[in-house]
Formats: sequence, structure tokens, C-alpha cells
Amino acid sequence: MNINTNTHIKEEKGVESCALPSYVRLENISLTLSEKSILKDVSFSLPATGISSLIGPSGAGKSSLLRCLTNLYDNWQGTISVAGINTRSWHGGDDALRRHVGLIAQKPAVFPASIYDNVIFGLSRKERKQNQSSRVERCLTQAALWDEVQDRLHDPANTLSVGQQQRLCLARALALEPKVLLLDEPTASLDPRSKQLIEASLHDLAKDMPILCVTHDLEQAQRLQGQVIFMCDGKVIEIAAANDFFEHPERLETREFLRWSVCDCD
Amino acid sequence: MKVFLSLLALPALLLPVACFLYIIVQAFPALDWELIVGSSASSGAAGNLFGDAANAGHGLWSQISGSLLMMLLACLLAAPIALSIALFHALWASPRQQRMLITLLQVLQGIPPIVYGLCGLVLLIHLLHWGISLAAGGVILAVVILPLLSSNAIHALQRIPIEQTESAKALGLSVGAMITRVWFPVAWSGMLTGLLLAMARALSETAPILFTATVFSGVLWPDSIFSPVTSLQTHIFYLAQEGSNAHVIDVAWASAAVLLGLVICFSLSARLLRRYEESS
Amino acid sequence: MLILLWFLWDASSAYWYEFGISQLWAAEWYPYESLYGLLPAIIGTVWAMLIAMLIAVPCGLAAAIVSSEILPVSWQGWIRLGMEMLAGIPSVVYGLIGLWVLLPWLQYTLDLLTGHNLLAAGMILSLMILPTMMVMSQDALRLIPIEQREAAMNMGMNWNQRLMRVLLPQAWTGIRSGILLGLGRALGETMAVMLVVGSLDRVPDPIYNILEPAQTLTSRIGREMGEAAFGSMHFSALMACGLVLAVTAICLSLLAQQKRSFV
Repeated sequence: MNINTNTHIKEEKGVESCALPSYVRLENISLTLSEKSILKDVSFSLPATGISSLIGPSGAGKSSLLRCLTNLYDNWQGTISVAGINTRSWHGGDDALRRHVGLIAQKPAVFPASIYDNVIFGLSRKERKQNQSSRVERCLTQAALWDEVQDRLHDPANTLSVGQQQRLCLARALALEPKVLLLDEPTASLDPRSKQLIEASLHDLAKDMPILCVTHDLEQAQRLQGQVIFMCDGKVIEIAAANDFFEHPERLETREFLRWSVCDCD
Repeated sequence: MKVFLSLLALPALLLPVACFLYIIVQAFPALDWELIVGSSASSGAAGNLFGDAANAGHGLWSQISGSLLMMLLACLLAAPIALSIALFHALWASPRQQRMLITLLQVLQGIPPIVYGLCGLVLLIHLLHWGISLAAGGVILAVVILPLLSSNAIHALQRIPIEQTESAKALGLSVGAMITRVWFPVAWSGMLTGLLLAMARALSETAPILFTATVFSGVLWPDSIFSPVTSLQTHIFYLAQEGSNAHVIDVAWASAAVLLGLVICFSLSARLLRRYEESS
Repeated sequence: MLILLWFLWDASSAYWYEFGISQLWAAEWYPYESLYGLLPAIIGTVWAMLIAMLIAVPCGLAAAIVSSEILPVSWQGWIRLGMEMLAGIPSVVYGLIGLWVLLPWLQYTLDLLTGHNLLAAGMILSLMILPTMMVMSQDALRLIPIEQREAAMNMGMNWNQRLMRVLLPQAWTGIRSGILLGLGRALGETMAVMLVVGSLDRVPDPIYNILEPAQTLTSRIGREMGEAAFGSMHFSALMACGLVLAVTAICLSLLAQQKRSFV
């Protein structure tokens, strides 16, 4: 199991939520894309509730890792299990897996339809025919968008600002009632207010589901609390609770990264 | 669903290729060098009846040269006009005029070529008394390809980065100098691509010249631009209309293959030029 | 364009003055008896267009979807090259294929007196507009950003759902202008149709009988222009055909543009 002995896992101490059984578990994930090694032996797990921030320099393989989790890349090696079930043998195939594990991309992609229709876009035809206004309201409220759009639910969704569109994407994913939420730099190009709103709603959501949030913004990782996973060059360097991570980083690479935002882990 | 779509798509993907191969195979027996350079009029007097022409001379040289001549004339007439339309669009037209110009060009492109043929027939042949002639065919083809040519030229000019234009203006170049020294070196390949495509189009248009420019046989080389010509396109048509014996059918297929070859030459070189342009 | 319309109008005015607009619905066209009803040719044109679209739209669309969504990317360039070449094949060559391949085959399989009929014209037309249709739809599909596809995948939509609910609705504008362009081409195509349609001026009997020789507007012009003397009623009747064609084509292309700028 412990092939990567140089990875220091501090999971056992400090983080309360880690006492709970882990919901998502990754073991020795490796990924090679067009003969370039992207992920090397990545192992970690997400607790049943709470936020985990995945940080690291660009090109560290953070986004690729998320895509492996929902089988958008499917040539990875290793084992990923969600709720104790191997994602390779998920009941109902990749599509069912992707409904269970919601992934929100960095760039919001709203469909050219009304706001209301966007929220219910992923539901089945039968469900869409029924009146879903309570579900739409709930999801939009969870995504901190309800107050801004409640009067214009039937306006085209691409009239929203980018920050609002990103929250709409969050609401759209929530409408499918996923059990895990993965976010790929959800606030990378957003204004401070949208950023704040999304962080707040993530805190709320994390009360009853695991959330994995990729970010390159260290302050955001600090604000999100929970556990921090530091990745560099396709490897996991350090995993710790947010406070410990930022105040007493264990490893040299982490310290370098926190101080100068550089990472040299080869 | 995927299977269903693939089944539906199969004929669409395969049939045209099959047609293409079929033409080549059919043309093969009659296709030789003599056919291309030989002249149909050499073996008989001018104004041969059909049977004579088909049995005696079956060279296609006069048809090929007629087609090419008409195409050249059309391009010579249309290219300057298209260029000036494109320059007008880029230099002086207001946004509103630009939009209208584009719309107009697209509408003109949508009008069936035979309608242009009709207009040409009335104006050039009956009102100006040019007679069935090379000139009439050239003018009509020029009108047919003009919309295509101009919209291609406009696109070629639009692809010039605005920074280049602005820095040229900042250097104080006059409009003429800007066109010749900044725009032309950048846009020439796009324009040439457009011209080649238009040539291919002019070669393949048949209907508008059928009753305005061509005769079936008897012309080796037009005496002047006001005399009738023979052309490959219409030659195929006449053969197809009358043809019953096997030899004629072979010749028709061969002409089709030659025409196809010419058209594809032009559109392939347009394509290569575009690739070159994209890579540079 | 106005000059062009004016020409057609001027040349055909004698016809319109003589017979009036009702002539559009008259069923008889016998030039030697001064009967110039346009109905047979109009019906022929409409039928040929309809048949062509019925074949070309689903096939072209399916081919576009297959080539841009299913087949590997490296094939796409080749397919596109092929399609562009095919779009450039002169219509008279298609006419040859129609005349000497399609007609005998139709005659044999359907056991007809002659293969010259509207069905053959429609089939040849569909072959001609397939490449146009396909290239336009493929462009429309390719313009949809990759984010849209991935967003749909992230929501656990399967291939069919993605196609029906994300790709086709968004590509629809482009596909529609492809359809209208194809319609315009089918309307104006002369040579290929002229060779296979049979040129019989009669309203099909019954009207849905597409296995009889018939006439389209373009084939009539092409066939009879050589015979009509300039200035005669026959000539201006043919010009009237041209006017009808031009007006329809202008409407079609205006429609295509309108929709494009509207959405």
C-alpha cells in the first residue's frame, strides 16, 4: 500500500471529520496522456462530509484528477471507490456515476435555454414535464442565486453574468442530487462577491456531502477550512487540515510553495 | 441510435464516392491522349451532323479549349469588379451598407444560374445582337461567378488583422500604398483561392451557356469573341441527349471524366492554397 | 438584382398581360395552341424538391453527425475534402449518372415503361445537395464549444441525450440554413434534372404520382429556350418561368439570412 513512502499523510491527527469513514477513496491513481505522465501514484480519500481543497501549481494534474474521478478520462490505472463501490463497475455505467458525482467545470457552460430550464436540464423527460419549481427554488437557493434571479426565471440563461452563470451551473448540478461534489477552480475568473457567495454555499453544502474543490488560490483554501491536499507534478506532497497546513507545513516543498509559489518536486 | 444513424449515413458517405469511381471506370475505355488533343472538327467539315461527328472525330480538344476560354474570359471580367466591390466594402462602406452588400451577394448567389442565362439571352443576344457567342457566354458566366468571387475577396480582406491596417495608417501611408503594400501581400492567397474556386464553378456551369454561347460541333477555334464555341459541359449534354450507340456513350463518359479532372484540379489547388495560407 | 428582376418582368410582361396571374394555376401547356399554364412545371418542381429534401436531409444530417461525433478526428479532414470535391462535380455529370445508371435501374426494379420520372429527378437532386447539406451541418456541429459537451457529460447525460438535447438544438440554425441552401440549389438545378425528368407537360395523375415523366420549371426553360422565337408569346412565357424561379430563389435566400441573423 505505502509505495509512496515520501508522501507524508497526516490524516489521522487534527481533522475531526476524518474520523468519519471515508466516502471517496483513491488508491494509486496513475494517468498517462499522449505518452506524458500526468498523475503518478495518487492516493487520498475524502471524508463523508466536509470540504477538501486540492491545491498546487498549474500543471500539477489537479483537473485531470477530477476528470478521472468521473471517468471523463478513462485510461487511468488504480482504484477509485465511491461509497465503497469501485467506479469501474458502477451500476448503470459512467452516466449514472456522473449523476452521483457532480463535476463543475472551471468555465461555466450554460445551455441556450431559460434559467429555469437550465436548472432542470439534467432531469429525465418525465420529471421535466412535472412542475419542478420547488426543486428549482431549492437548488438556486443552495447555489446562492435565488435572490438575484427569482423574478426572471424564464429569461435566457446567457444574459447572466459569468459569476451568476457559474452559480447556475452549481444549481444545475445540485438538481441531480449528487452525493459528491467536485469543483474545478469554480471561482477562478469571478468577481469577489460571487466568490464569497459560492464559498458560503459550499460551506453549507459540505454539512452533508463531501466536496472536493480544486483551487490555486491559497487564501481560498484557507477560508474553506477542511482538509488541504497539496499536489505537485502529478504527486501528492502533503495532506493536512487547513490550519496545520498553513501554519506548520511539514515538508520542504510545501514551505517553498507557500512562500514563493514555486514548486520543485523532482 | 448510433447504429441507426450510421446506417442512415452510410449511403451518404459511400454513394458519392461510388459515383466518382463509376465515372472513372466508365471513362476508361475511351480515355486516351488522342482524345484530349485530337480535334472533333478535323475529320469533317464544319457543321457536321451528329452521326458524322460521333463516328469520325471524337477528340475533345476544341471543347476543352472552348470551356477554358470561356472560363478565362469570365474570370477576367469578374475579377476586377469583385476586387473593387471588396475594396469598397473594406474602405468606404458604412456598417449598414456592408450588411446590405453581404445580403445582396448571398441573394444573388441563391438565384439559379439559368435565370442569369435567360437575362443574358434577352440582353446580349437579342437586344445587343451579339449572337450566340463566346463573349455572351463569358459575360453571363462572369455574372454567375461574381457573387462568389466578391464574397471570397471580402472574406480575404476581412482576415487581415486590424492592427496591420492601423499601423499602416499610423505610418501615414496613403490608401493606395496601404492596399498595395500592406493588404495585398497578406490577402493575395485568400483571393487566389477564391479565384480558383470561381474558376471551378465557371467550368461546371452548364445551363446558362447552353443556349447563349455554345453549339454542338463544327468549331475548332473561335474566330473572334463574337463567334460561337463548343464547350465540354454542353458537349456532354448533347451527347447524353442524343447518344445511343456505345461509342458515343464512352465518349460522353470520357468527357465527363475530363471535365471532372479539370474542375477537381482547380478546387484541389484552391484547397492546397488554403492549407498553405493557414499554415503560414 | 433589381435590374435583373426588371429584365425578367419586362421580357415576360407580354405573357402576364395576356393571361394574368391566374395562369400560374392553369394546367395546360401547349405552345403550339397558345396554352401556357405553369401548373405542371410548378408541381414538378415542388415534387422534385420535396423528394430531394426527403432523402438528402436525413442522410446528410446523419452523415454529418457520424463524421463529426463518432468517427475519429483524423478521418474528418479526408471526409471533408471528399465532400468539397463532390460538391464541385458539375451538374451535367450527375445528369449522366442519372441518365445511364439510375434510369435503367429504376426502370428495371419498378417495372416502368420509362425511367424518366420525378422520382429519378429527386434522387439525382438529393445526391447533388447531399454534400452541401453535410458540410453545413458539420460546420454547425463543430461550432458548438467543447465545454457544452463536457457540461452535458458531467450531468450524466448519455450519448443520445447529448445529441438530442444539446447538440442538435444548438446546431439547428446552421442546419436550417443548410437545408434552405440545399432547397435553393434543388430549385435552380437545370442540367441533371433536364436529362432525367422526361419533359412531359402534364399534371401528374393522380397528383402524387411521381413515377410519370414530368417537367420542372428549369427543365422547361432549358429544353424549349432554343425553340422559342424572340418576342413570341412562347418566349415570354418561358421568361415568366424564369421570373417565378428567381422570385422563389430570392425569397429562399432571404429567409435563410433572416433566420441566421435573428437567432
